[in-house]
Amino acid sequence: MGMIAGLLLAGLVQAAGFEARPASPAPQLKAQDLAGATRTLSDYHGKVVLLNFWASWCPPCLREMPSMERLRVKMVGRPLAIVAVDSAETREEVDAFLAKMRVGFPVLLDPDGSNTKRWKVFALPTTFLLDASGRIRHVLTGPTEWDEGEALSKIEALLAEPPPGPQR
Amino acid sequence: MNTKHFAGVGLALVLALGVPAAHADLPEHRIFAAAGERLLLWVSSERGRTEPELHAAEQLAARGVETWSLDPVNAYFLPQLPRSMDAVPTPDMVEWLRAALARGKPVTVYAVARAAVPVLRAAAALAPAERARLCVMLAYPNLYTAAEPLAEPAYLDFGSLAGLRVHVLQPRRSAATPWLPGLLASLEAQGAVVRHAILENLREGWWMRETPTAFEVAEGRRMHELLLRELNEWGCK
Repeated sequence: MGMIAGLLLAGLVQAAGFEARPASPAPQLKAQDLAGATRTLSDYHGKVVLLNFWASWCPPCLREMPSMERLRVKMVGRPLAIVAVDSAETREEVDAFLAKMRVGFPVLLDPDGSNTKRWKVFALPTTFLLDASGRIRHVLTGPTEWDEGEALSKIEALLAEPPPGPQR
Repeated sequence: MNTKHFAGVGLALVLALGVPAAHADLPEHRIFAAAGERLLLWVSSERGRTEPELHAAEQLAARGVETWSLDPVNAYFLPQLPRSMDAVPTPDMVEWLRAALARGKPVTVYAVARAAVPVLRAAAALAPAERARLCVMLAYPNLYTAAEPLAEPAYLDFGSLAGLRVHVLQPRRSAATPWLPGLLASLEAQGAVVRHAILENLREGWWMRETPTAFEVAEGRRMHELLLRELNEWGCK
């Protein structure tokens, strides 16, 4: 049966392509990375951010993840941060998955789903593209190939914008 | 084997396999007859009725739980989409619930995913005394009117669900799990008496996944046990 596994339930939530947003402030992101350090969006200030909410049980999430890793390699030296927030799973579940799929971008943990709820994520994967000033510019519900096509074009367009001033 | 005996065997066979039931005012459904005390109305999701669900219905009947199986997609020729469930006629569902209540057995309605919507609409349309006799078990119910990234979720307003006892079964591995408290609060605000259980290591539709885990396969085969366990632990009558 053609179950779109991660676009779960929300049911009314369908893959709809990139949704442009008027540059809007981002909700708070506060999560630990795999080394136990607390990360926030300010850690990535001055970079375009691809913020991806995923889970290890979600097939579409896993399908797009290799393209995120290829994008990371393609963008080495450029001001792009790829950040994957695991939604509402345990550290053990995340570790078990990452033992099978090694990625070079940071993975943050959201075991209690608090970040998932602050960002109002109802389906997985959901990805936010933020400009270098930390403002949300695009939202994608559902998977894509991040290193090509429309996704790459949108990232390149954000990278081409003038850099922001110093963070206040 | 005489004719009477043959007819009896035939009837037993038909009952075991589920009898299509048609009535002018009722949605077409299959009946898995049983002589036990309980009656379970099983409403399949927008994905349609699946073989594991039929197997579970047979197993429930074999354990004494009479089961009426409704596939709204098939009964009303609807597309396999969540919004199709919103098109199921409420008067038909009300009549179906009333026909079940008229049997005199304790009735539990079990609805999957967006199929919760026609069930709750029908429950809201019942008289309070009828509603109080009903138990409703919902597997990962989708009650959103809107669920957009960066925006607060909005839930359907069914009117009064006062006195309705609702038990929500929520697979842990679901994007909806972090949002379960909001869904439960929405039902409570409409008067329902709500409880829930988290189904560990399962995803939504575990019995019909394209790439199921070994655990999901096993749980799909013994879905009747899960439902019996939840019914018994809940104790709603």
